[in-house]
Amino acid sequence: MTKLVTIKGSREGLRLQLDDAAGWPDVLAALRGQLEQGAQFFNGARIVVDIGDRALADEQLAELMALMRQHHLEPSALGSTSRESRNTARAAGVVARPSVRGAGVADERGEAAFVQRTIRSGQVVRHHGHITVVGDVNAGAEVIAGGSVVVWGRLRGTVHAGALGDRAAVICAIELRPTQLRIADLIARAPDGAASGVPEVARIDGDQIAVEPWESYRR
Amino acid sequence: MSRVITISSGKGGVGKTTSTANLGTALAMQGMKVAVVDADIGLRNLDVVLGLENRIVYDLVDVVEGRCRLRQALIRDKHFPDLCLLPAAQTRDKDAVTSDDMIALTNQLRAEFDYVLIDSPAGIEAGFRNAIAGADEVLIVTTPEVAAVRDADRIIGLVEAFDKGHPRLILNRLKPRMVSRGEMMSIEDVLQILAIELIGVVPDDELIVTSTNRGEVAVLDRGSRAGRAFNDIARRLAGEDVPLTVFDDSPGLMSRIFGAFGFRARGSER
Repeated sequence: MTKLVTIKGSREGLRLQLDDAAGWPDVLAALRGQLEQGAQFFNGARIVVDIGDRALADEQLAELMALMRQHHLEPSALGSTSRESRNTARAAGVVARPSVRGAGVADERGEAAFVQRTIRSGQVVRHHGHITVVGDVNAGAEVIAGGSVVVWGRLRGTVHAGALGDRAAVICAIELRPTQLRIADLIARAPDGAASGVPEVARIDGDQIAVEPWESYRR
Repeated sequence: MSRVITISSGKGGVGKTTSTANLGTALAMQGMKVAVVDADIGLRNLDVVLGLENRIVYDLVDVVEGRCRLRQALIRDKHFPDLCLLPAAQTRDKDAVTSDDMIALTNQLRAEFDYVLIDSPAGIEAGFRNAIAGADEVLIVTTPEVAAVRDADRIIGLVEAFDKGHPRLILNRLKPRMVSRGEMMSIEDVLQILAIELIGVVPDDELIVTSTNRGEVAVLDRGSRAGRAFNDIARRLAGEDVPLTVFDDSPGLMSRIFGAFGFRARGSER
């Protein structure tokens, strides 16, 4: 089964790749589902929508932009290999760029970002796959991942794992003292009091986020 | 080689202006030629702290807008002829200057001074960006309070994003007794969060309030604990290796040598 919508993260922001062979209504429906599931993930991100080789008609472009707007997203550009589509976009006042699509679309679940620094207050790290941070995540910082988040350091900020809807995502840190933890659609506030002093893992257990020491989790 | 150093904090009221005035004076006492610049346009304070308020004729915005030459706007300090103040405009706001204006201004000041210290406004907006635009290095001032440290963390991230290198930290208004009672964040607590180099610790000192109100900076008063701490920081800025000591709350007593804790302030290696 091919995915109709693929999300890729890059230094420039997020790239939403839409399948260019499937029917347009199916693609739009898939996009709508993805945006609804990952509202937190997309919030505030720079987004490029890549429609591939599809020749987009005026009203199809309008539908796409309306759907994005419904979710309070303003794409910074439209990418397409079709000159016709790029012209359509420019005529509608949307920035358009030629896109180069890689040969095979990699499975984004397997991809990961590696960050080696202190993530400070006001800074956001966002990636469609997993995120590994070697360093501290300070209070006021945000780490948002489609997959799991590993912090080799002190986690004091806000982390959202599985932000595209993956309830199997986990969050682990050497010192897990976050302001707030989010996994998929669930939110947990950090318990008051001192840190446990051992590395911990947060995951979804039933319908809530559970935190347990790494030693008991691995068994 | 002259150095342009911006003193910033994020949060207001943690001691940026006091630090700028004291470091500027202390460097002048070492025989350096120093300009202190008030970049807090619309809310100027540095002139008051230095006791020079009644001598202002022209200000920074007048220079930028070409109503006077730089030299006309510079005010000579009462005690040290090698210390000059470039005051901020009080009747204008942050939009009166641009980052390019500030870079041009600091380059003009470099030609005449060994040190240019810029007192940044609080906040993360244009005023702050202008204040660091021409800087070679940045000193972050914070107090041992959660809110101040949080804002310092934000500012450090921005300073690093603007490619101003690694800022160094002044921890202001520490009360060693409260720390030892576990009621205040310790030096270690603050450094654990901010993870930057410490250049000095200034103890809480009531004399600062009176000296600030009189327009006489603390470094001129040999009995002031805060004054001695600022003197040490100025020496470290100049590259001297001065061990970090925190002057205790009890007057005259110098206690708690922090070298034993595994960190010490270092002078600049330039």
